[in-house]
Amino acid sequence: MSCQLAILCLLTLLLPLLSRGAPMSPAERITQAYNLALSMQENMSTLLQTYLQAQGSPFSDPGFSAPELQLSSLPPADISFKTWNALDDGERLSRVQGAFLALSQHLQLVGDDQRDLNPDNPILLAQLRDARLRAQGMLGNVAAIMTALGLPNPRAEDTVGLVPFGASAFEQKCRGYIVIREYGQWTDRAVRDLALFKAKYPL
Amino acid sequence: MALFAAFQTSLLLALLSLRAYQSEVLAEPLPLTPESLNVSIDSAHQYLNLQWSVHSLAYYQELKMLFQIQISRMKTSNVIWVGNYSTVVKRDPVLHWSWKSELPLECATHFVRMRSRVDDAKIPEPRFWSNWSSWKEADAQKSLGRDPLFLFPKDKLVEEGSNVTICYISRNQQDNISCYLEGQQIHGEQLDSNVSAFKLNKVSFIRKTGTNIFCKVDQKDVIKGIVLFVSKVLEEPKDFSCETQDFKTLMCTWDPGTDTSLPKRSSQSYTLFESFSGKKILCEHKNSCNWQVDSDSQEMYNFTLMAENALGNRSVSVLFSLTHRVHPKTPYNLFLKNVSGTKATVTWKVHPIGNYSTLLCQLDLLGEGNVIQQHNVSIKENGEYLLSELEPDTEYMARVRCADANHFWKWSGSISQKFVTAEAAPSEALDVWRNVKSVSGHPTVTLFWKPLSKLHANGKILSYNVIVENLDRPSRLEVHSVPATANGTELTLDQYSYQIHVTALNSAGPSPASVIVVSGDPGNEEAEEERINGTEDGFSVSWKPQSRKAIGYVVEWCDHPQDLPCDLQWKNLSSNTTSTVISSGAFRPGVRYNFRIYEISTERMANLLEKKAGYLKELAPSDNPQVVVSNLTSHSFTLSWKDYSTDSQPGFIQGYYVYLRSKAEKECHPGFKKATLSDKSACCQHRIDNPEQKTFVMENLQPESVYEFLVTPYTSAGSGPVDTFTKVTTPDEYSHILIRIILPMIICVLLIMITCYLKSQWMKEKCYPDIPDPYKSNVLSLIKSKENPHLTIMNVSDCVPDAIEVIHKPEGSKIQFLGASKSLTETEFTKPAYLYLLPAEKNYSGPGPCICFENLTYNEAAADSGSCGHFPVTPQAPPSQPGPLTSPENLLKALEKNYMNSLGEIAAGEASVNYVSQLASQMSGDKDGLPTNPPEPVHCSEYKMQMAIPLGLASPPPAENSGLSSTTPLDQSEHYR
Repeated sequence: MSCQLAILCLLTLLLPLLSRGAPMSPAERITQAYNLALSMQENMSTLLQTYLQAQGSPFSDPGFSAPELQLSSLPPADISFKTWNALDDGERLSRVQGAFLALSQHLQLVGDDQRDLNPDNPILLAQLRDARLRAQGMLGNVAAIMTALGLPNPRAEDTVGLVPFGASAFEQKCRGYIVIREYGQWTDRAVRDLALFKAKYPL
Repeated sequence: MALFAAFQTSLLLALLSLRAYQSEVLAEPLPLTPESLNVSIDSAHQYLNLQWSVHSLAYYQELKMLFQIQISRMKTSNVIWVGNYSTVVKRDPVLHWSWKSELPLECATHFVRMRSRVDDAKIPEPRFWSNWSSWKEADAQKSLGRDPLFLFPKDKLVEEGSNVTICYISRNQQDNISCYLEGQQIHGEQLDSNVSAFKLNKVSFIRKTGTNIFCKVDQKDVIKGIVLFVSKVLEEPKDFSCETQDFKTLMCTWDPGTDTSLPKRSSQSYTLFESFSGKKILCEHKNSCNWQVDSDSQEMYNFTLMAENALGNRSVSVLFSLTHRVHPKTPYNLFLKNVSGTKATVTWKVHPIGNYSTLLCQLDLLGEGNVIQQHNVSIKENGEYLLSELEPDTEYMARVRCADANHFWKWSGSISQKFVTAEAAPSEALDVWRNVKSVSGHPTVTLFWKPLSKLHANGKILSYNVIVENLDRPSRLEVHSVPATANGTELTLDQYSYQIHVTALNSAGPSPASVIVVSGDPGNEEAEEERINGTEDGFSVSWKPQSRKAIGYVVEWCDHPQDLPCDLQWKNLSSNTTSTVISSGAFRPGVRYNFRIYEISTERMANLLEKKAGYLKELAPSDNPQVVVSNLTSHSFTLSWKDYSTDSQPGFIQGYYVYLRSKAEKECHPGFKKATLSDKSACCQHRIDNPEQKTFVMENLQPESVYEFLVTPYTSAGSGPVDTFTKVTTPDEYSHILIRIILPMIICVLLIMITCYLKSQWMKEKCYPDIPDPYKSNVLSLIKSKENPHLTIMNVSDCVPDAIEVIHKPEGSKIQFLGASKSLTETEFTKPAYLYLLPAEKNYSGPGPCICFENLTYNEAAADSGSCGHFPVTPQAPPSQPGPLTSPENLLKALEKNYMNSLGEIAAGEASVNYVSQLASQMSGDKDGLPTNPPEPVHCSEYKMQMAIPLGLASPPPAENSGLSSTTPLDQSEHYR
């Protein structure tokens, strides 16, 4: 039920992109993307907990955290405040777009991994699917903002090609953890970025 | 000699050399040393794959050879395995062999070498081993990346309970590495400086998604792990069997046991193989498989069912003849025909199996869930059976199942059908009993009967027929129809004997009649009551037969004797019975049950034999009797509780305890003994053993003492509650005497007082009249006797009034007068006004001595005399009208009038009138206040002040004025002259 609601919500946010009505202003598009980012933020902790619980120890241990695990195919969300603050609109949105492009592809990969590892956990699989759809929704929203602001829209790249497919089950579990963790961090960053845009382009 | 010895030695050496040469030559033709040995690693399955070749099989097409293989770990000298491999080698062959390593091959470098030997019968012995091949190294670590830590094996699949060895490879010897299995740290064995191995024994299944094992480098945030997929043990299929329903298909079924499937690994598969035909099929389901029977030619089947998964397989076989595995289909079209009260015909059909097969069908008849009848019927296709000995109006169920008649294998499924047999007339007479009583002089018989059991009713009872026949006066029979819901009826009869027939009717007819004879005359229904004891099983009742003509006995009782109706019960007993046990679920302890035993005569008349009464269990009385105290004297009183019924108590009353306690008396009276109550207080107890003695006299009591008593009955189970005592206080010893004297006295006084009240006027006149009669005065008698025997009493008519003093006195002055005596001296008196009724000459001389009285009635008397007395004059009466007053008539009128007026004026508080006698003495102490020329009285014997005092102001005059001065004027008084 909650999954269906989430999809409906996503569709509501995505539909304006497809609508043929009056074109939305940049501020409206920013607000829309900002709202999507907030809803993604709300669902983050649930997704991470569901994922970790399904993987067994040590992932399911209380307080599990492995910041040392990184995935080179994902752009890091961490950035110094000075650098972040100095980003211009185009660069800022390009980075968000690039990150969510990579995340949506990686979430597809994690979903496939978990379909093998946890075929009997439909809740986890549904949440991963929702996360991927949201990431794609964010991608579309950011692209729409860039278009509305008249910024160049870089071509989408295939980031999954860099992902090692011959990973072991443990590596798959780790990879899924990294992707979801980074997805959360990029969502937080997107909220912050879009809040900046909201302030800059008020309704 | 020395030369011979040297020759001999030379010869021996030559022979040895020849021998050695020969052996080399013999071995040389088969130089089968393995060549081109190549070793590769299969990491996924942990196999060392060996490949080599053997050359120079020039003389033979093929040759059986034995290869001995040595495997070393870490270094060549550390041989961990030696084994032989036998195979037939063909010309220019490339040979393969694999060795599965328990330790992951990545964990250590392995070395392999081998040698060979001909092991073929074509080559005569002796056979020699070839030389060892050179050591070949298999090192998987070389291909590993540059990660600081590795863990092997990856994603290994093992069966639950097996042993697994894992290892880690660290790139830095200095690193401190700890490893964990599902959160629990594990400790291993260090293989070399970089490698440690962990042997996990009997790994257990934790979850389908695998068991995580991970290692981390302390303080470096490096974490590596593997997932061990532990599968459940593949079980051998259980209960494997095959059967056919139609000789066309064999259905094989089994219990697959535990599911061994894991993620990324499919579950176990099942293959069915028949050895006679050599056919093999992969089963679609995990627990069943269908095998098509091709033709009738194959009779025997030998099936092997193999369960297989990635880790192994299990198989089970079964050998059978097809005709012994026939499981017929469930019969159909089961019907009941010609259902009567006791019989019914069952028909059904079966699916045919083959042309010559006969089926054995089992027909069950069930009633209330239990199999009542069972019949076996052999049929081909249609079955039929006649069921008999059925009960009328009963629901049954017919159930049919079939099996192969020749080789029983299994029953088919069952088909069933319910049916109800038709009704029949009730098969048994009603159990009838009666109760005869007299209502308004007419004998009334109440008939009771017990409903027929379902077994005997044979249908739904529609009504009961009661036929009454007068035995003394043959007449028409009386027929009563009683509804089926009733269990009895009431008949009012005459003083004759009647025979009563009772039958039960259902749709099929009446039951046999139950006959009972009652007499209009109840006769002697009395018999001595005997007590019996109840037990857990009930009451054991026995009796003595009175006549030999009895055809039976009836014991009658009430299940609820305290209720109305009391739920009459009875039990029929045969004539040769003299005792029985009456039991009922309604029996309760503490309730008295009365049993009456009747003898049934040959005329079917019931005569009372005996009466019994008993308790299932006697209880102590719950209530105490209401005790009345009477005949209370100072030394005794009587207790009585005659209203107490001993029959309706929870046990047979055996007597009573009388408790008495008193603070005054410490010792118990004779007949009493000391007892201690539940509250540990002491009292005296007297026991009355006769339950019918319901009075008791308490004697030898102290007067004026408080006694407390309690009467409680007792049964064999104990006495009643000893809780509430009643207080009695004995009266004073003389109080009754006093009462006898004082009471009449009080009555007498009261009578006198009433009489006095009623005769008060008379008494007043007699004892203290308002105007004393001088003739009756004591003074008169005193004077007469002592001083002057000739002294007479003056007649009022002899007095002539000479003046009337009228005193007008306001109310305020009266208050002053009353409030202060000194006013008499200090107040300036107003001179009184005098009405001189007679000439006031100074030399006047009266007619003689006179006596004046202080009463108006006295004045009246004076008026009557017409010549005497002062009289008041109202203020309205002007002094200028003295005339009329001079005549006695006028005077009288004036007196009357003024008297009345003065009364009214006095009542108004405005004035007072003083009557001053003309004989007032001058001896008054208040000379100043007196008129200057008062008349001189002559020989006045006494006087008194005549004063009318308004009501409410009456007060005795001051003492000094009460003497001789009767004319003391009051302030502001008006004096008229």
